[in-house]
Amino acid sequence: MAEGVPPMDEKAKRTRDLLASFYSPDASAALGVGGGAGVSPRRIASPDSINSPFFDPEVYMSILVQKLNMEGLLQKHVEMAAEIKNLDTDLQMLVYENYNKFINATETIKRMKNNIVGMETNMEQLLVKITSVQSKSDLVNTSLFEKREHIEKLHRTRNLLRKVQLIYDLPTRLAKCIKVEAYADAVRYFIGAKPIFEAYGDSSFQDCKRASEEAIDLVIKNLQAKIYLDSEPIEARAEAVVLLKQLNFPVGLLHGLPIYTCFSPLVDNLKTKLLEKLEDYLLKFQDEYKDTGVSACNATESSDIGQLPDTVSVGDISKIIRAYLIIFPDSEKRLIELVQKLFNRRYGIIQQRIKERMTPADLLNMMRAIWEDVNVMDEILAEAALPAFSLEAARSIVQQYISTSFSYLLDEITDALGKSQQTQKEVVEECPYQNTLEASKKTIIQGSLDLLLDFRQLLDDNLELLAKLTDLIVDWVQEGFQGFFEKLNEQFLVLCGRGYIANPDSCQVDAVQMDKVQAGLVLVLAQLSVFIEQSAIPTITEEIAASFSGGGTRAYEHGPPFVPGEICRIFHSAGERFLLLYINMRTQKISVLLKKRFITPNWMKHKEPREVHMFVDLLLQELEAVGMEVKQILPQGLVRRHRHSDSLGSTTSSRSNPTREDKLTRTNTQRARSQFLESHLAKLFEQKMEIFTKVQHTQESVLSTIIKFCLKSLQEFVRLQTFNRSGFQQIHLDAEYLKNTLKEFVDDEAAIDFLLKEVVGAAHERCLDPIPLEAPILDRLISIKLSKSKEQSQTSP
Amino acid sequence: MRGPSTGIVYGGLKYQARCITDVKADVDHTSFLAGTLSLKEENEVHLIRLSPSGSELICDGLFYHPNEIWDLKSCPFDPRIFSTVFTSGETYGASVWKIPELYGQSNAPQPEQLVSLDEHSFKIKSNMLVSVLWWPSGKHDRLISIDEGNIFLWSLDSSNKVAKVISQESVGMLQNLSGGAWDPHDRNALAGICDSSLQFWDLRTMKKTTSIEQAHIRDVDYNPKKQHFLVTAEDVSGIQLWDLRRPKFPVKELPGHAHWTWAVRHNPEYEDLILSAGTDSTINLWSIRLPGNEGSSSESLFDSPTTLKDSLINSYTDYEDSVYGLAWSTREPLIFASLSYDGRVIVESVKSFIKRK
Repeated sequence: MAEGVPPMDEKAKRTRDLLASFYSPDASAALGVGGGAGVSPRRIASPDSINSPFFDPEVYMSILVQKLNMEGLLQKHVEMAAEIKNLDTDLQMLVYENYNKFINATETIKRMKNNIVGMETNMEQLLVKITSVQSKSDLVNTSLFEKREHIEKLHRTRNLLRKVQLIYDLPTRLAKCIKVEAYADAVRYFIGAKPIFEAYGDSSFQDCKRASEEAIDLVIKNLQAKIYLDSEPIEARAEAVVLLKQLNFPVGLLHGLPIYTCFSPLVDNLKTKLLEKLEDYLLKFQDEYKDTGVSACNATESSDIGQLPDTVSVGDISKIIRAYLIIFPDSEKRLIELVQKLFNRRYGIIQQRIKERMTPADLLNMMRAIWEDVNVMDEILAEAALPAFSLEAARSIVQQYISTSFSYLLDEITDALGKSQQTQKEVVEECPYQNTLEASKKTIIQGSLDLLLDFRQLLDDNLELLAKLTDLIVDWVQEGFQGFFEKLNEQFLVLCGRGYIANPDSCQVDAVQMDKVQAGLVLVLAQLSVFIEQSAIPTITEEIAASFSGGGTRAYEHGPPFVPGEICRIFHSAGERFLLLYINMRTQKISVLLKKRFITPNWMKHKEPREVHMFVDLLLQELEAVGMEVKQILPQGLVRRHRHSDSLGSTTSSRSNPTREDKLTRTNTQRARSQFLESHLAKLFEQKMEIFTKVQHTQESVLSTIIKFCLKSLQEFVRLQTFNRSGFQQIHLDAEYLKNTLKEFVDDEAAIDFLLKEVVGAAHERCLDPIPLEAPILDRLISIKLSKSKEQSQTSP
Repeated sequence: MRGPSTGIVYGGLKYQARCITDVKADVDHTSFLAGTLSLKEENEVHLIRLSPSGSELICDGLFYHPNEIWDLKSCPFDPRIFSTVFTSGETYGASVWKIPELYGQSNAPQPEQLVSLDEHSFKIKSNMLVSVLWWPSGKHDRLISIDEGNIFLWSLDSSNKVAKVISQESVGMLQNLSGGAWDPHDRNALAGICDSSLQFWDLRTMKKTTSIEQAHIRDVDYNPKKQHFLVTAEDVSGIQLWDLRRPKFPVKELPGHAHWTWAVRHNPEYEDLILSAGTDSTINLWSIRLPGNEGSSSESLFDSPTTLKDSLINSYTDYEDSVYGLAWSTREPLIFASLSYDGRVIVESVKSFIKRK
């Protein structure tokens, strides 16, 4: 079966190709589609290919005859016969299939024809019915038309009668109103009836008119009295003025100008009085607000910020404004200005308070208080567009709040880093850098999470004002984090004296004071960068994704504002840069030491070596200091490099605390065996040893990199000198001693051995008379030095 | 970026070597001079010529040099004259040599010593001679020699084989000179590398003019196309580009090498190409963008050092040992020769990188 399938497939494919070429107008295109792209060019190219459209049977035959022998030809013949037969059956099959389909199509068409035949008669019936319905509805309409006309006429008459009734009733009604002092109603009625009086007052309703006018005169008199009466409340007086104003026109007509002229100074007077009062209120209000603001700051209890004065003052103000608005509808503009000024000041107060640090709860309370007032005001003074105005203000406030929060966090972190630097100079702590690192880590992660929590509070609050800003807040928070981390990176650069773009003077100072403190701090920064990249950013990203997703009112154009990948990249490179900087600072220091060592003595007149030179001690001291720093800050490397001594199958691990002597003798004997092998291996495989590998954020990696750099520098310094025999021996001795001691720092023995060998080799080359120190002397000098240093380390723990 | 090893290797130097120089005055051939550094054997100066096809390096002359060569410079106007700084044991010396006419034979035993620049006092150990400088931009009969404590300005008359000290300046006890460069734009300006700074002298008065406070400088090179610009190489901090009008801060910093950056050279033709050699056995090709256009000197262009764009174009890593010698060819500016400590001269072309830009 499995064998049968592929030829079947191929056959089917070919059939399809042939059919396609038959049906398609463009044979070559069909071929291009049918046969794969890789096959078609070949087919087109050769006329002897049987599947090509350019197939030439003559050529094919001649090629076959040329290529094959008799047996082959016979076999080909059989193959072809079989193939032709197959093709025939296939074609037959296809013809049958086509025929079948044709029959199906014919049947379908027949059915469709039958269905359409009955349709026309049905449609005609429908038309007839619809016309009959229409004629009947017209009939009903005409028959009812007369009755409807009549009803409408009756209705109009009734309305007229009612109006007449009203006018006849007017005097009594006015009198009633005067009795209960409902002047507003009285005025309303009178004004309603006025057009009728004007039209028919001289004829039919003369009596009525006279009576009503008398009543209205009384009303006017009463109202005037009311206006002049100071004891009346302002609203009542305002109302009276409004009523008088409404009556103004007819009153003026009836009685001439005197009333109006005596009336207008009064109005002006009232107007100014009211405005004064309003402004007074506003001032008082602001003062109160400021007071409460300050007091709330002092006493941390903040729930009642502006609550008390608000309810009183805003209520008052709203009342006054309402009255004012009723009396002088044209002076809205001035009021709007006043109100906006008021709220502006209040938002200004919030903005000022944001500059100090405040909790989101405080902010929310203040915003809510103002928002309530805004709602009250909006009811009265919708034209002031206060909600839009406050939205604008709230927007800037929230934005400012977010940005100040971030800048506070930045300051905190800088403080945490800077503080350590200061205290460290005075107090000798156990592991100051570790503390600094931990403190800064905590500040970063805790501070960021706190900020997120705060912002979360802003989002969760159901204050209508902020709800509209949700998307924007999300965007701002994300933007804030982006900016925050970018700024943090810059801050780091400044701290290590590299960011002289921001602060041009610090570079010079820092460059000079590349002392211990600086180097350690750089290492802290390196590790901090790694921490930010590896744990702070993911945590924050998660947090943001959880509660600050969405947003993106304008995100779609620029991508999301917070790009954790980018930040990670920034800090990743920063981490590496700081680490390199640290290594550079440290090696530079050691370089100076080495340089002094090699430039001061006259190597051509060097005396015979008596002991290991002092610079080795200094070098080791430096390395120890580095080791201390590194141990405080960096993590241990997870994968320790395989030790050579281990690989030689020693049963006791070198790290299973053997005494120093043990270790020394063991490694010595083993080295004797391995050195030969090693030197050969080094020459064979490590001709160009990769000593400048990538630095990792581990103790071992940093330390070994520094040591490698130093040894390489040592080699370069040696190459610049010319030695006599003793000079060479001194270098040899120092190198041998270093070989033992450096192993305590690093595991990468191979590289150190290689480099030290290079140093000795360089000295050998640069020596006029290179005869090495005899091995016993060498060993003795080294062991003397070792025991001496051991004593020292015991006496001074 | 690790470039394909397209370099042409010349293995003719038998000993370790530090110096290679371009024979600037040779207008017919692309040739270099390289000198060996061997304590015990007889040292050689090789005249290496790039075959016209550009595929082969031919030794065109081999001259014995009595002492090991620490510095080698070719005369910029006479292809047959060069200068060396050498040591033998504790003594230092500097000489100007002339390659004798070859008459077909390829190794003349020893070049003709034209002048010995022997005013340097060798009694004090610290006065180690460090370099001899020719004015790089053409015919000039002056010569500068620098030792650890002094600068000498010589007047050279090569036809009469005399050199006279015109003026001399001591830098003082606390400073050690370790190299220098002569400004190609101003034959009166000299840059000298001191311990903690780069000092500049006016040769007319022999007084210090200005300085760049930067420690551990290894090498300095003036930009041949643009006045006021130069590049320095430091042990640790890599490569820095300076504008002499603003000596406080570098215009640009490049990371340099994994270990010390030993030598740095501007391309003689393409001002944005810089080559650096380091003790990490690599040569790096950098592309820098200096602010401003050709010949422009307006101050306003130098406001934003951050906008400069530059990058490492290629790193040649095909070396077995530290690379100390580095020289662009003046005749074919896209070719440079390098010399690693193990004596291998490699000539590379940077053409492929230029076209790509």
